[in-house]
Amino acid sequence: MSKKLTVIPEQCSGCRICELVCAIKHFGVNNPKKAAIRIINTYPHPVMRMPIVCSQCKVPACAKVCPTDALRWVEGIVILDKENCISCYQCVEACPFGAIYAHEDCDLPIKCDMCGGEPECVAKCPLGALRLIPEHALGEPKRLNNVLSYTQMREIEFYEKGEKKAIRYAEIGKEEL
Amino acid sequence: MIKGGYFKKHLYVDLTKGSTERRDLSDAFIEKYIGGRGFGAKLVWDNLKRHNFKMNPLGQENLMVIAPGPLSGAYLPSSGKNSFIAVSPATGLYGDSSIGGGFGVELRQAGIDVLSITGKAPELSVLFIDNSEATVMPMPELKGKSSLEAEGIIRERLDTQTAHVATIGPAGENMVRFACVNTDWGRNAGRTGFGAIMGSKNLKAIVVRGHRDLPVYDINGLAAEADKAYRYLKEHKYFKMWQQQGLMNVIEYANEKGILPSYNFKDSVFTRHEQINGATMLADYKIGDSACFSCSMCCSNICLVKNGKYAGTVVEGPEYESCAMLGSNVGIDNFAAVLAANHLCDELGMDTISTGNLVGAIIEGYEKGILSLSDLDGRDITWGDDDGILELIRMIANRRGLGDIIADGPRRIIKQWPEMDKVILQVKGLEQSAYDSRAGSSMALAYATSDIGAHHTRAWTIAREMEEGQSWSDEEKVDTVIYHQKLRPLFDMLGVCRLPWIELGLNERHYEYFYKCVTGNEVSLEQLLALSNDIYDLTRLINVRLGVSRKDDSLPYKVFASPPLTGPNAGKVVDKEHFQRLLSMYYQKRGWDEDGIPPAGVESKFKD
Repeated sequence: MSKKLTVIPEQCSGCRICELVCAIKHFGVNNPKKAAIRIINTYPHPVMRMPIVCSQCKVPACAKVCPTDALRWVEGIVILDKENCISCYQCVEACPFGAIYAHEDCDLPIKCDMCGGEPECVAKCPLGALRLIPEHALGEPKRLNNVLSYTQMREIEFYEKGEKKAIRYAEIGKEEL
Repeated sequence: MIKGGYFKKHLYVDLTKGSTERRDLSDAFIEKYIGGRGFGAKLVWDNLKRHNFKMNPLGQENLMVIAPGPLSGAYLPSSGKNSFIAVSPATGLYGDSSIGGGFGVELRQAGIDVLSITGKAPELSVLFIDNSEATVMPMPELKGKSSLEAEGIIRERLDTQTAHVATIGPAGENMVRFACVNTDWGRNAGRTGFGAIMGSKNLKAIVVRGHRDLPVYDINGLAAEADKAYRYLKEHKYFKMWQQQGLMNVIEYANEKGILPSYNFKDSVFTRHEQINGATMLADYKIGDSACFSCSMCCSNICLVKNGKYAGTVVEGPEYESCAMLGSNVGIDNFAAVLAANHLCDELGMDTISTGNLVGAIIEGYEKGILSLSDLDGRDITWGDDDGILELIRMIANRRGLGDIIADGPRRIIKQWPEMDKVILQVKGLEQSAYDSRAGSSMALAYATSDIGAHHTRAWTIAREMEEGQSWSDEEKVDTVIYHQKLRPLFDMLGVCRLPWIELGLNERHYEYFYKCVTGNEVSLEQLLALSNDIYDLTRLINVRLGVSRKDDSLPYKVFASPPLTGPNAGKVVDKEHFQRLLSMYYQKRGWDEDGIPPAGVESKFKD
């Protein structure tokens, strides 16, 4: 079963533990600037902490521009072939999410390799903002959020056997009927 | 022996000359002073000696030191700390303030263990440290901009999202003596007036960007130990609560124990505490978590006011101190107004603790008739009057009318209205923070002997005294204060946060191991504590040479003479003679004389 690394930015605190553990695992150094995942902070509108990491696209924009075919999608992961890569960094520029990184100490672009299927960042995220979920379940948390925040949602409270409960329901727009 | 952990570099900036210089740090210096406030105290001491201990804190000659520690930025719980150290314009004595977020980590990634800044730029400027480069850039157009606005403009101008920016607001430019330095959109080096120092140096901001590996001697050992510590924290029964409420959980606790300042410490419980507590924040205001670098506890919150007159206000915070001082202490029971006041202080660049303390004191002074309506420039002000309070905050930052006097701090206010001495809670000129010490004499001793004035950071013994200390002997009280004053500043020297230890009980032995892994220096916790204790002697020496003695290790009038009106500690005050006995015992245990002066030989320890 193919699993995807997904990001739930609403749950990210911006602690950058993901960056640290990524760099330690792949380079053996304490340097968040060598991670294949980075957190971008914005303020105040919107206030957001957004981890940016490779989506392992099935039609990878990075691979498309790679002049040496060093990037290939293999079983759910866009793999960087270190032998063929010439470090032209066209992939870094081409990724629509900016999810491939460069560092002057490193000979190659820094790109998420999913740690062989068990990403370190997912394991160490203290808030569950990074998750590994089956491909067919992608988007589920978002769907639920969307349903809950549906603008016409109403809430009423009622009592069942003396216990206070609440129910949410969607109001049908009467004016449209 | 030091095998890692440091770049061994000191960036020295002279703003008068516009010069920057990378100086080497010797192994001996590093081993002895460790980092953070240790480096700062030593550099400030040397600078004072050069000036024969004559120092105007807002003069060119004052050296402002910014120092992370050897553990700052390392993979271990909550390593995002960094200290600011200088002679304080609030007290005229040694001052420091520790700050979270990621500024210190970035400084380290730029290859700098300590940054010190002297002189005064000819016009309003920004110091930009970009990995190996450091330049002073004039940016007079930032004059009058708020802290947050300036951060946005600078990011845009320098085209960087990843740099860390420390700015001052109008309060700093106007040299309000409790102005702060703001980083990362709302984390402040709040206490002892660093914003005013930057203002006096015409330094609007410091921007740092770096990408070096942090030198770690044994990365595998460090990672293994860090994983253990993170796991311990995660399994702690209060871990989730910390993630959700952060320091806001303390409001309920403080109210229950009767240590929550209300109405300028007239009371120590607040009847409408439920309207400004963590639960209210969670239910109606919190929209996100915020953490310092490498911290899993994420004690900071991001709040949004969704409706009413403050709708649209977004704040990183509040935490306990801001909420208590700008809430219950000034009688505000509307959480949205607390957020608005907190945000206003961030924008203006002013310490929330000092501001809340002094605003409370002014309201009480007016209530008591010490200040007249004309003293208030014709606009009366009462408890919980959020419009009036916000306006007063603006007046202070812009030094308008009455604000001009308040901006110079408690001593100036007392000079103007001598009776205010009985109203303002301050020690050595620094306004007291939000833990009532009348409930516990160990906390009173902690405030009196803190090297920066009435702040809880050096020794926060109140919780332990409330829990288990009711039957403590005097000796146990003194020992607890001294132990805190060794361990807590050690965290500030190492560049890590103390909350995992004090709040979730992470064993302090971990830090011995962290230090060993990062630096390769085989030193025990006891040896580290001894070094931290030396720094306490050093900051005392600085203060003594600047005129401090026993008479200054005193407490506010209210602590001795004016008990809280209601709550569990109603009627309690600290007994004056008992306090003096504690103080004598404290000096004795520290090896200082009856007047609080360290012995003559101590000074020679800090020659090099």
